[in-house]
Amino acid sequence: MSDAATAPNVLVVDDELQIRRFLRSGFELDGYSVNEAENGREAIRAATLRPTDLIILDLALPDLDGSQVLERIRSWSNVPIIILSVKSSEMEKVRLFELGADDYVTKPFGMAELLARSKVVLRRKARATTGDSVIRIDHLKIDLAARNVFVGDERLTLTPKEYRLLQILAQYPGNVVTHQELLKEIWGLPHINDTHYLRIVVRKLRQKIESEPNHPRILLTELGVGYRLAPPNDPPDAQAD
Amino acid sequence: MPRIQFLSQMTIQWLRAAARPGGTVGVLGALCLVTSVTILLEGMKGVLDLPPVVITYLIPVLFAAIRWGLMSAMVATLAGAASAAFFFYRPIHTFYVEDPARRLGLLLFAIVAVVAAYLAARMRRESEIVRRREKEISDLYAFSRRLAGGHSTSDIFDAIEKHLATVVGRRVALFDPRGPSGRSEPIGENDVPQKVREIVAAVISGHADGGAGTAIADEHGNHWLVRAVSPKTPDLGVVAIDLGQQTPETEQEIRARIEAVLYDAASTIEKIGLAHAITEVRMRAESERFRDALIGSVSHELRTPLASILGAATVLCNAPAVAGEPRLASLANVVRDESERLNNEIQNLLDATRITGEALQPKLEWVEVTDIVNAALERRRIRFGSHAVEVDLPNEMPLIQVDAVLIEKALGQFLTNAAKYSPPGSKIRVRGWRDGETLALAVSDEGAGLTAEDSVHLGERFFRGRRHVQSTPGSGLGFWIANAFVAANGGTIEAESPGEGKGTTVTMRLPIPANVEQLESISSE
Repeated sequence: MSDAATAPNVLVVDDELQIRRFLRSGFELDGYSVNEAENGREAIRAATLRPTDLIILDLALPDLDGSQVLERIRSWSNVPIIILSVKSSEMEKVRLFELGADDYVTKPFGMAELLARSKVVLRRKARATTGDSVIRIDHLKIDLAARNVFVGDERLTLTPKEYRLLQILAQYPGNVVTHQELLKEIWGLPHINDTHYLRIVVRKLRQKIESEPNHPRILLTELGVGYRLAPPNDPPDAQAD
Repeated sequence: MPRIQFLSQMTIQWLRAAARPGGTVGVLGALCLVTSVTILLEGMKGVLDLPPVVITYLIPVLFAAIRWGLMSAMVATLAGAASAAFFFYRPIHTFYVEDPARRLGLLLFAIVAVVAAYLAARMRRESEIVRRREKEISDLYAFSRRLAGGHSTSDIFDAIEKHLATVVGRRVALFDPRGPSGRSEPIGENDVPQKVREIVAAVISGHADGGAGTAIADEHGNHWLVRAVSPKTPDLGVVAIDLGQQTPETEQEIRARIEAVLYDAASTIEKIGLAHAITEVRMRAESERFRDALIGSVSHELRTPLASILGAATVLCNAPAVAGEPRLASLANVVRDESERLNNEIQNLLDATRITGEALQPKLEWVEVTDIVNAALERRRIRFGSHAVEVDLPNEMPLIQVDAVLIEKALGQFLTNAAKYSPPGSKIRVRGWRDGETLALAVSDEGAGLTAEDSVHLGERFFRGRRHVQSTPGSGLGFWIANAFVAANGGTIEAESPGEGKGTTVTMRLPIPANVEQLESISSE
């Protein structure tokens, strides 16, 4: 990733100089090239003018609210966006995920964690652009085109609801999908608060796809927010880069 | 002339007083009784040849005296004597009595009846007073118990309001003169009319005389009396009493009674040091609010630079230049680890202010317990790098309805404590099981254990075991926070230890909703 031509461009948006400073060092040490913006307007301008592969967006900005910046950028671009915030309320997370945030990191945080999450969202984007309909996570293989799910070589029989859940999550592997979205998609609007429906289906599904259902590695819970699939395995050709 | 006027006024007053207990009902009742005795005697006249019957009329007289008071007994006496003369003594059907002996008999009857009635009425009055005293004492007792149990001014005002309502026997609304908006909800189901509120406000602000009381009629013609509970201090509140629809005279009387009752109540309240208690509760609430606001804002201010420090430290730890230099690397690790710890302490302070600020409203949702356990372990994974963590959860645990984030934090506190107070390399065990109507989650370690003293004080805010104060850093908030979070979800926490150095097991129990099986079967189709 040290090659300047392939180094991903990350845009760091935070009004605090010290935060921008360590984010710059952290990302540069990991082979990214870094741009900075210290307020919302600058961030929107930078995102339109410069090539950007990833945005790290602080919520508390002096001019615009971070969620407004998120909404505006989402109106034309699907560049991965990771939110930084001192608030850690689950309601806030749900709102931001529904506005299109790819991930959410609560301040204070360690650089290693942010780098790991950045890799996940970048890889997800790379996969989305290849248009591959087969997703491999650990020993699980989901073929969205053929509507087949395999564990190792064994084909699974899933109920329609179980498959639908896996399908929704697999459309954005690694991305958190909120409880409400899942309930709405699978059971319909009237059941948007019946979280127990979801819990039961997840429990059954985990028994089929996880090797240790009590310690899931594929279908992961974001407590109080929703579910996500673990990041997909690297495609064999991507590893060659 | 003035003397006669005075006498007649006295008589009227006496009559009114005598008339009160039974009122018109008493008089009518007395007449009914006399009539029935007359009918009875008339009926028996044909059957038996009766001796002087007049003594029978003592029965209605005594009954009336006990039941309805003196006035009604007098009426019974008069009516009894008249009926005897009219129906039974010759010449019959006139009030004239021929036989002098019978005339004397009637006179004696009247005297005996009056004396007996007087005695009976007095007995009745006295027993009534005793009964009232008894009720007053039990009311007062209930009042003082409510006061003793009160934790805030609103509890105390509630108690005063209830006490006044029982004592006055009318609808009473008490207004806290220094409350946030002034207490406005009366004890009854309907509201205090706007007009009355205005007077209350005037009394509170000192524009109207609260000591003597102000009477006012609302739009329905109900009369209200507004006055300060104690003329000496407005701190005890301003009270509005619904007098109902009364004639001026009875209203005067009720007001006099209320005066007396309020006077008693105010002096009782003063005696038990209530004014002082109220001021104290207010000061305490005020200072707690101030302290929490301070902690809250300081914590936020501390977190901002901490985010930069922690972030920078983690960059340094992983930078190749530092990683290749073991001494620098260990220093960078110290900066990172200590900022993590500082961050956790700040988080604890913030959580603690949330609890005392009463802003803790659990957001209940159905959750899988294993998800909570996994999240708690995941979040603290780095911190028990040197401990062996063993998880033992059965496959089919019932769903529970809790605030997953709060429970995760509480469980995390258990885990943090287990790691902190047990030697590196030892085992930490997390177990979950269904225990009747509760779901139990336990964290056991092989560490310092608890002394008898520790067990007693464990749940207290800022408590730290004496053995650890010097050796292990901490604020003493963790367990207290965990306790509050679990309690907010309807659960309980207990900690047990076989003794010093023998490890500790902390268990939380959370309620399993009664309908969970039904819900699980419905949604699994």
